[in-house]
Amino acid sequence: MLLDAVHMEFSPRYHHTADMLLDEQMIIEAAKQNPEHFGPLYDKYYKQIFGYVYQRMDDKDTAFDLTAQVFLKALTNIEKYEYKGVPFASWLYRIAHSEVMQLFRNNSKLRTVNADISDLRNICEEVEEEYMEQYKGILMTVIKDLPEDELQLIELRFFEKRAFKEIAEILNLTETNAKVKLYRILERVKKTLTKKSK
Amino acid sequence: MATKFNLNRQPVPDEEINSHKDFGELVNKFKKQSIEKARSDASFLKNKKATYSAIIAGVAVICTVTYFAVFKKEPPKETNHDKIATSQQNNKNTPNTKLNKAFIAPPISKLNVPYTSYKVKAEQGATLTHKTNSKIIIPKKAFVNKQGQDIIGDVEITYREFHNQADIITSGIPMTYDSAGVQSTLESAGMLDIRGYQNGEPVYINPKKQITVEFQSEHTADRYNMYVLDTVAKNWVYVGRDNSLKGQKHEPLKTTTSDISSEKTVSPKTIELQKKLDAIPPKIEAEKVVYTKKVNQLPKVATPTKPTKATAGRPQFELDVNYKEFPELEAFKNAIFEVGAENKNYSSTLADVTWSSAEVSEGPVKGKNYLLTLKLRERVEKLIVYPALTGADYGKALKSYESKFSDYKTAVAKREADEKRLKEEFEAKQVAFATEQKAITKQMIEERIRWQKEQEEQLNRQFQSINNQEKVTRVFNVTSFGICNSDCPTSMPQGEKMTPIFTINNSDTFIRSEQTYLVCHSKNVVYNFYNPPISYDPKDTYSLCVLSNGKLYLCDKTQLGTCFTNKQNKIPVKEISSDVNDSYELKKALGI
Repeated sequence: MLLDAVHMEFSPRYHHTADMLLDEQMIIEAAKQNPEHFGPLYDKYYKQIFGYVYQRMDDKDTAFDLTAQVFLKALTNIEKYEYKGVPFASWLYRIAHSEVMQLFRNNSKLRTVNADISDLRNICEEVEEEYMEQYKGILMTVIKDLPEDELQLIELRFFEKRAFKEIAEILNLTETNAKVKLYRILERVKKTLTKKSK
Repeated sequence: MATKFNLNRQPVPDEEINSHKDFGELVNKFKKQSIEKARSDASFLKNKKATYSAIIAGVAVICTVTYFAVFKKEPPKETNHDKIATSQQNNKNTPNTKLNKAFIAPPISKLNVPYTSYKVKAEQGATLTHKTNSKIIIPKKAFVNKQGQDIIGDVEITYREFHNQADIITSGIPMTYDSAGVQSTLESAGMLDIRGYQNGEPVYINPKKQITVEFQSEHTADRYNMYVLDTVAKNWVYVGRDNSLKGQKHEPLKTTTSDISSEKTVSPKTIELQKKLDAIPPKIEAEKVVYTKKVNQLPKVATPTKPTKATAGRPQFELDVNYKEFPELEAFKNAIFEVGAENKNYSSTLADVTWSSAEVSEGPVKGKNYLLTLKLRERVEKLIVYPALTGADYGKALKSYESKFSDYKTAVAKREADEKRLKEEFEAKQVAFATEQKAITKQMIEERIRWQKEQEEQLNRQFQSINNQEKVTRVFNVTSFGICNSDCPTSMPQGEKMTPIFTINNSDTFIRSEQTYLVCHSKNVVYNFYNPPISYDPKDTYSLCVLSNGKLYLCDKTQLGTCFTNKQNKIPVKEISSDVNDSYELKKALGI
């Protein structure tokens, strides 16, 4: 199993150089003093956060509303934000994650999984199985029946193509822990695929 | 319901995403939210004109006021003034100001426990008896200003008490206690909030004095400690064991209400009336516009032109006139145009020229004379001419004029009558508006009186219910204004955990809890849960309140007991914030 997935392209958006982090930190400090200075962070991360939220639901309007709520919470709590050497995005994703989960707790009907065929192919490759058309339905069933925390890992890794470091930040796990958990999920997926394709 | 799986969904275009970006709206929401929190935290700071920044500054002051060391028997090593200066300095340079505002956040401002206001002569001191029979003993010269100087004259003492779980919820006072990293919730035997002002400015307790509050507590157990709320450190500060307990039968409730402060919150009806009142001036302005428009729309009455008889011997022109262009010349059909005496350029030779064009346009006196322009190649002559009639044409035109003039007079009379009618209607509406304004103002005054009376009655009812219970006196020695509590820490309930889903009246409508209050019925404690799961002791009895979108929802003890027994996490709640008007009514709703 190729957990580091050299053949998969991961989004570089999370990566920040030291200078970028420093610049961001200065904006955050300014925003703590004056909410008007939050603008650059809002502009920088709006699309990403919307993408994260909308990835998990069908209703676009709800996704836009929730995105607005995430930024309002971020601005309200920015004084509590402590720089931990990672992009500000990780904190925003955690707020978004919490908001999305809260929404689903109140209305589970809103939960949706969104993926591309190429994502399912990637999962097959990851479990060293050659993708076949018959796997599509099996994978969709297996994935959507996963418990929420496991589904999150699959989504973040394969459907949103995030690095483990970023996944760990969002889910408040260690990088190793995230890898181990995903490994176990993929093991189960592989077994199911093998069993059902026979 | 199973999770839905979409394959290859169309991505949202960037344009659409960007069209929802609105940073200005975000900042506005944030500011509104901050102001709301500031208002609810500092309910005594009611200046409606206070700006966002002013509230921030105000909160900094409030924080310093509540940064106190009540019950310290030994003389304080620094003056209150020193503390204020330090604290204000810190607030300026730290970003925590906004967080402090949210530290005490009443969930629904109209339910907040109101202050009672007392006036005390600072140089004389006083013993005040609160509605609950609690005594506030203020020694002489008990107050200093921020410079540490003695205060003389009237000082306003605002005071309120919190006795039960409903008071705890409605006040928004955090009851979480962090002792060396161990979090617990305070079970209260009674809590008070006392503040002092002179001319609207906060005053401070003289470091050499203390205010004694003999608090009538309905909780008679002897297991409580004294704490003060440090709003800067955002934690309760342990002061010592509450050894002040002394049994005491409560005297009959005194129901005088003269010293009740005019509670600064207004009733919903007053707000409605104010809205109606505010809506009247625009109506008056709109009516003025309508009136002017109607008057302007009345048919214009044109004065008919009286025909002029031709003057013998004056030079004349016969012209072909377009009557559509000059309708006033209708009365001059077959008219000739006499050359006016003012035309110095006129000579009889002009009549000998065969002009290539002759044009009539408006003259210097509209409707009376006309400008005749004669052209022949480069030559142009301009003459002021007057229409005139001769012979039978004049007689006919005069008759027509007299008939039109008669119609004109009738039309003028009608227009004047219409104008008068519109003016009367307009004035009647203005009078009606003024009457309505007066009536609403009267209603508002009556409503304010009714509201104040109702508040007083509610307070009395609340205190009456307390009064009927067995009481003990707990003595608070207050050395600085703020919130003091007689409590004992209690751990979060243990036994079962549940991730609740709150539904309105058992329907399919879910609400998202911003804060869940688990109200324990066996002791005076409210457990706050900001995130699921909630924990509970299955042997205990609870009711539950949920704060969501500025509304308070309730699940009573019977329903909640059923949910807990059946381990059913779908908890039905009903909205109560619109029916309940104060903490006493909330207490009744909670069934405590």
